[in-house]
Amino acid sequence: MNEVVSVQHVSKSFKNEKAVDDVSFGIQAGEIVAILGPNGAGKTTTILMMLGLMEPEAGFSTLFGSNPKSRKVRERIGAMFQEVSVMDGLTCREILALVRSYYPNPLPVSELTALTGLEEKDLKKRAEKLSGGQKRRLNFALALAGDPDLLFFDEPTVGMDISARKSFWDTIRLLKNRGKTIIFTTHYLQEADDVAERIIMFHKGRIVADGKPEVLKNKLARQTVSFVAENRMPLEECWKLPDVKDVYRLGERIYILSDDSDRVLEALFQHKWDIRNIQTEQGKLEEAFDHLTRSGKREVG
Amino acid sequence: MKIIAAQCKAEMTRMLRNKYFVFWSLFMPILFYYIFTRVVNTGTADQEAWQAHYLMSMTTFSVMGSSIMSLGIRLVQERTQGWTLYMRITPLSHTAYFFAKMASQTLIHLFSIIVIFLAGVLINDVSLSAGVWTMSALWILAASAPFLALGTLVGTMKRVDTASGVSNVVYMVLAVSGGMWMPVEVFPDLMQRIVKWLPSYSFGNGAWEIAAGNLPGISSILILIGYSILFMMFSNYIRRKQEAV
Repeated sequence: MNEVVSVQHVSKSFKNEKAVDDVSFGIQAGEIVAILGPNGAGKTTTILMMLGLMEPEAGFSTLFGSNPKSRKVRERIGAMFQEVSVMDGLTCREILALVRSYYPNPLPVSELTALTGLEEKDLKKRAEKLSGGQKRRLNFALALAGDPDLLFFDEPTVGMDISARKSFWDTIRLLKNRGKTIIFTTHYLQEADDVAERIIMFHKGRIVADGKPEVLKNKLARQTVSFVAENRMPLEECWKLPDVKDVYRLGERIYILSDDSDRVLEALFQHKWDIRNIQTEQGKLEEAFDHLTRSGKREVG
Repeated sequence: MKIIAAQCKAEMTRMLRNKYFVFWSLFMPILFYYIFTRVVNTGTADQEAWQAHYLMSMTTFSVMGSSIMSLGIRLVQERTQGWTLYMRITPLSHTAYFFAKMASQTLIHLFSIIVIFLAGVLINDVSLSAGVWTMSALWILAASAPFLALGTLVGTMKRVDTASGVSNVVYMVLAVSGGMWMPVEVFPDLMQRIVKWLPSYSFGNGAWEIAAGNLPGISSILILIGYSILFMMFSNYIRRKQEAV
């Protein structure tokens, strides 16, 4: 296996609060990986440490087996950050020409515009006069300028409209087919599920799940059985049902997570509890995510 | 080397396209020069010496301004616009980036010096020997170091508005009290003694001495070196503190 990214027991705190807490993972060449999590989960901090832009307090990480700050690594990576990066006073074409000159084998400008949707008339504009969407495209083009093998995108689709988003992901798939390794962060679950082959889920600075989207769904979002209880029924009762993995109350509904919803239903009917409006659902990634990240707030007991 | 040349070219293009630079570093000094040597009668005995003296005042005024303001504000802009972060993942090293910035700044200063000197020749027929022209240009280039360091200090500020406000005030105060607008001899005695410790006075004084056929005083050189070290240390200290967060 050809490991492109290696993160080893990396930690970072800000003002005594752990932003990233003992995180380790590796990424193989050609993988397309989503780092998924809510705001403040430590996604961006992890990306910045992977890129060598922030020093971890403990642990270390390498890209292509080397220090991420080394020149030979930088010639092979590209990145787009959350905040747009522009250099004012120069036209798009001038900025692209300048940045392309930093790399040994840059992509031609025509290819960069084709991939990112930058238009000929945008190229003539000064960077500071571009619209938000155009700046984003320019940043995408800058990330691709050196024809990198490894690409980082931090919340790439924030602020993009639907068509821009679609064409962005189409390009990402195209780049994947060319053998690029792609890492992106998102809090849109749909994106992670649609595009990534692997999802690393962050919560409170830790990895809470790591795997293929389907495996994650099976593992995390089990089938749920939910119902409305007439009397305010104690949740402990529900724990006595078969194969129960979790029980929680949301509004007037009680949710039971289980590996085998058939047996839960059977048991529910046998108990003859005063309940109504029973529903069963196959878990979606959204729910798995909600479920994982809500843990602090959930009503228990 | 080719990369650094391309980087310098890009930096210079940006500066020349900047309206504020053209206004404050070229237009204003030349306008002031015209007013105080042609329109207003300053009543100096030796007109020719005054015209050469004031040409040096305005050239140092121009170069000091673009060192503090253009450089400082641009550094803040690049950081707030995310460019600094982006540059750190490209193969261009920080040293090359910084070197290109300083080199292009110096070339732009040389350009300003030539333009303003030419204006002096055209407006007042200022005639100095080739040696004096060259020496004064070299002095202005080299002695702008403390102001470039001050520019990097301005560059550590968080917001563009603050940086441009603060640098504007600092620039004007330094220019006026350093004797760039009017000779310090018109100030009260006590003030004269104080302003002679300012970097702007030493900067101008070196150029005035050269224009008068002398050499810059050793005290001017020492004061400028002292301020360079002070500003550089201060700006490095702040930058290190910011990076530690």
